[in-house]
Amino acid sequence: MTEPAAAGIHPQSSAASAPLAPTKLQVRDLHFYYNGFHALKGINMDIPEKKVTAIIGPSGCGKSTLLRIFNRIYAIYPKLEAKGEIILDGENILDSSYSMNRLRSKVGMVFQKPVPFPMTIFENVAYGIRHHEKLSRADLDIRVEQALRSAALWDEVKDKLKQSALGLSGGQQQRLCIARGIALKPEVLLLDEPTSALDPIATGRIEQLVEELKNEYTIVIVTHNMQQAARCSDLTAFMYLGELIEFDRTEQIFTKPTKKQTEDYITGRFG
Amino acid sequence: MQANVGVAASTMAQEARAHRDARHDRLFSWLLKGCALLVLACLLGAAGATLWGGRHAFSTFGWHFLVSDAWDPSTDTYGALVPVYGTIATSLIALLIAVPVSFGIALYLSEVAPPWLRTPVASAIELLAGIPSIIYGMWGLFIFAPFFADHIKPWLTNYLGGKPDDGKLSWVAQHVPFVGKLFGSDYPFGASVLTAGIVLAVMIIPFISSVMREVFQTVPSRLKESAYALGSSTWEVSWDIVLPYTRSAVIGGIFLGLGRALGETMAVTFVLGNAMQLSPSLLDPGASIASTIANQFSEAAGLQKSTLMALAFLLFVVTFIVLLIARLMLRQLAHKEGR
Repeated sequence: MTEPAAAGIHPQSSAASAPLAPTKLQVRDLHFYYNGFHALKGINMDIPEKKVTAIIGPSGCGKSTLLRIFNRIYAIYPKLEAKGEIILDGENILDSSYSMNRLRSKVGMVFQKPVPFPMTIFENVAYGIRHHEKLSRADLDIRVEQALRSAALWDEVKDKLKQSALGLSGGQQQRLCIARGIALKPEVLLLDEPTSALDPIATGRIEQLVEELKNEYTIVIVTHNMQQAARCSDLTAFMYLGELIEFDRTEQIFTKPTKKQTEDYITGRFG
Repeated sequence: MQANVGVAASTMAQEARAHRDARHDRLFSWLLKGCALLVLACLLGAAGATLWGGRHAFSTFGWHFLVSDAWDPSTDTYGALVPVYGTIATSLIALLIAVPVSFGIALYLSEVAPPWLRTPVASAIELLAGIPSIIYGMWGLFIFAPFFADHIKPWLTNYLGGKPDDGKLSWVAQHVPFVGKLFGSDYPFGASVLTAGIVLAVMIIPFISSVMREVFQTVPSRLKESAYALGSSTWEVSWDIVLPYTRSAVIGGIFLGLGRALGETMAVTFVLGNAMQLSPSLLDPGASIASTIANQFSEAAGLQKSTLMALAFLLFVVTFIVLLIARLMLRQLAHKEGR
């Protein structure tokens, strides 16, 4: 699959997506303002379908901000404004007519720290499903089990579904949050530094899970950990001071970056 | 040798200092213990004094005191049922109104309102909480009770209750059990159990809503974001996430308001009507423990005075039972959540 038009117009995004897979999310001239502060300055990128795209960069570069625009979670706070276009399946999700409910059923998100709801394990997963679908109890049971299985958590929790999710370990809680996200059967899964609060073993399990999940979902992961980006992503975007400096295949970025700033960052000269 | 003496002297000095420290610490801890025990002594003293003062009434009327609605100073027969019922009924009405309204205020301020509005409204609520109860009482007596008698009461009696003495009953009163009794009244004035409940609600709303607002603000934003990210609406986030997360503190705030409502004296005395009669209707006047004591203490002597003391003791007991129920509820919730 190729997209010659996009490649021609937007050189910074062309190398990455064209030969890999069809584009899932097209970001076009995206600007973002916090109380008037210009936080993202004209981002263009094509995020391919069913691949893992990592966004790296020093703190404050706008990587989390960018991720939080993909499901418009920023919109729950006042005085934040995004301009530009993000095309998901041919529709601009930043358009005010695009239903928030629909967007969030298509684009799931997992946050930095594991945040189980104050409910049972079962209810944590079922909670989101109930917002979007009316299912019989039996169907709901099946969906919850599927989600927990895909998040590689089922075997650990199948005997205590009725217990509070707050009793799980940090790594289990984070996998529960992933299960909660994929229970809605989204098309895109956003991961915002999902392992930053976890120990190395739990981190390993999450990375393994990301590897499995990309067969079904388009994954965008923000990480401050470059090894993680190198290990589990297909493409890597490097951002600096609100701009997208370089976006290419991961091995390209980590072995032959074309921009000086990217090279400085991945070799540890700053950031 | 001299060096040894020096060492010995400094060791002695250190030991003296250690002894002094230990003595000071002991003194300090006794002092703190004394302060804490003072609270306990006050509580026991107040309970004991009212029980002692009411012994005459308790021994004269026995257990019958609790279930009797008699109140006749000319024959010196008294029962606690009317004031106890009035206290509980007005407080429950106050809670029924105040809890949902406070929940709405607190949610609006913590989740929905634009930031520039939050602080002024929150300070206004705290100012409301500080208004002396006599002012609420005067507002209730001179403004709210007449308004209630002219506009709300006729509507309630026409559509829900009726005028039992005239034999006029509304459709609801004839077909739905209890409702007609609750809202039927021949009494023409504004003072009633319901009026007192509403005035009490206005008084405790600032308390409950400021506690709720404060605890709602403790909900981590990442928890709310996670729920929004699953497609929840603001209402769903509030009801499914914010409320369960803060449940025990919210219940604590509600019982704080209830405690205030149970003991409130001035405002209730102004608008309750102070009739020592037991009526099933919320629109008839009644009496509460606090209002009865406030109204009758100056002229009471002998058995009547002892009865008022006994009522004060009962108010203690009612408040204690309410707090106990709150504790038990919290424990059960904690147990259910598996914490």
